[in-house]
Amino acid sequence: MELADKAVGFLLSAISLSIFTYYTLWIIILPFVESDHFIHRYFLPQEYAILIPVFAGVALLSFLSMFVGYVMLKSKKKSA
Amino acid sequence: MKHVLKIMALLVAISAFWIGLLETSVVPRSYTWLLAIYLIVSLGCYGLLMVGIGLMLFPTCPQEAVLLQKDIAEAKEFLKNKGVDVGSD
Repeated sequence: MELADKAVGFLLSAISLSIFTYYTLWIIILPFVESDHFIHRYFLPQEYAILIPVFAGVALLSFLSMFVGYVMLKSKKKSA
Repeated sequence: MKHVLKIMALLVAISAFWIGLLETSVVPRSYTWLLAIYLIVSLGCYGLLMVGIGLMLFPTCPQEAVLLQKDIAEAKEFLKNKGVDVGSD
């Protein structure tokens, strides 16, 4: 089963590297490129660079707190 | 001290550091939120990368696995002879 583990690990690192390079290009490099360059077509407008991570972070936090609350309620109901 | 207090103290220290950097104009004001979010996203990416690399380089020790299975079979035999219920076989 170690091949499955290595595949998952490779997939995770590939995803994280691609997200990092895309985000770095988006925020750090794109403002210094003239607006006529073709590369601008592959990137959304810059407001989304803030909205998407904030939205994902809020979604993650609410999911985590809902999960914690659900587990706490279930354990309390079982012990009562 | 409870662990959550330590985490909150760390968060307060980091935000105080960031606000300090802003006030002394090391970082330009109009890029406050953008740079802060960029740093947080890159930190999350770094964590994910470390997890992925750790998964890839995990040592499996196949010889130890074989020896362990032999030990388990031996222990099951021994306990079954002594009358203990060893469950599924």
